[in-house]
Amino acid sequence: MKTILAVDDSATMREMVTFVLESAGYRVIEAEDGAQGLDRATATNVDLVITDQNMPNMDGLTLVRSLRELRDYKSVPILLLTTESSDAMKAQGRAAGATGWLVKPFDPATLLEVVQKVLR
Amino acid sequence: MTRQQTMSTRDAKDAEQAADLLVTVATTLNERLAVTADELARSQALLREASDELMTAFRGAADRIVAAQRGADAIADAERTAEYGPVLDHLYRACQHLQSHDLVNQLIDAQKLRVDKMREKLLQALSLATPPISHPGHAEQWIERSRAMLDCIIAGIQQIDQDAHGPLGDKQRRGSVDLF
Repeated sequence: MKTILAVDDSATMREMVTFVLESAGYRVIEAEDGAQGLDRATATNVDLVITDQNMPNMDGLTLVRSLRELRDYKSVPILLLTTESSDAMKAQGRAAGATGWLVKPFDPATLLEVVQKVLR
Repeated sequence: MTRQQTMSTRDAKDAEQAADLLVTVATTLNERLAVTADELARSQALLREASDELMTAFRGAADRIVAAQRGADAIADAERTAEYGPVLDHLYRACQHLQSHDLVNQLIDAQKLRVDKMREKLLQALSLATPPISHPGHAEQWIERSRAMLDCIIAGIQQIDQDAHGPLGDKQRRGSVDLF
C-alpha cells in the first residue's frame, strides 16, 4: 500500500484529501504545516507528498526545497495543492523541484488521476 | 489688525476646519468599519456552524464507506465499484463543495484582517488629533496635524493589501492541474 503525506494547515482540507485518498486505497499521514511535514517525512519514508503553499511555520515551497535536499526525497513526487494559481508561483514551484501544481478546490476524481499518474 | 494678520487668522481657521473635517471623516469611517467587522464576524460564525454540521455528516458517511470498502477487499474490483461507486460519487461531490466552505472562511479571515488593520490605522490617526495645538492661530500647526493624520491613513491603505492575503485564484483556474 502506497503512503502519502498530506500537509495543510486547514483541518477541513486535510480531511478531504485524506478521505479521497483512503477511499482509493492509499495510506495517508497528515501534517499541519511545512515544519511538521518535514518531520513526518524524515520519520517515515512516504511515496508521495501533497502540500499546501500558504501555511504557518514553513510554507509549501520551503518544504519542497527542504525535502529535495534529502537523499530519500530526491525523486519522490511532490504536488502543491493550493489556492495560489499565478504563473509566477507555479514557476517558483517548478524551480523548487515540485512535480506538479493543483489549484483548490480540487476535484476528487482529478486528484486521484494525478496521484496515480505520478506514482506510476 | 493688519491685512497680513487678517489673512493669517483666516488661513488658520481654514486649516483648523480642514483638520476637524479629517477627524470627522476618520471617525465616521472607523464606525462604519466597526459595523463591517461585526457583520463579517457574524457571517463567519454562521458559516462555521453550517460547515461543522456538514463536516460531521460528511465524516460519518466517509468513515463508513472507507471501512466498508476495506471490509470488501475480497470482492472483485468491478463488483466493488458497482457497490460503492455511486455513493463515492456523491461524497466526492460533497467534498468539492465543502472545500469551498473552507476557502470562503479563509477569505472572510483575510477581509477581517484588512478591516482590523485599517481600523487600527484610523484610530492611530485619530489619536494624533487629540493633543491640544500650542498655537491655534498658526495655520502651519493645523496643516502639520492634518498631514500626519493623512500619512497614517494612507499607510493603513497601503498596508492592508500587504498583510492580508486571502485565497484568491480566478474561477477558470480552480481545480486546474499542471504537471511539470
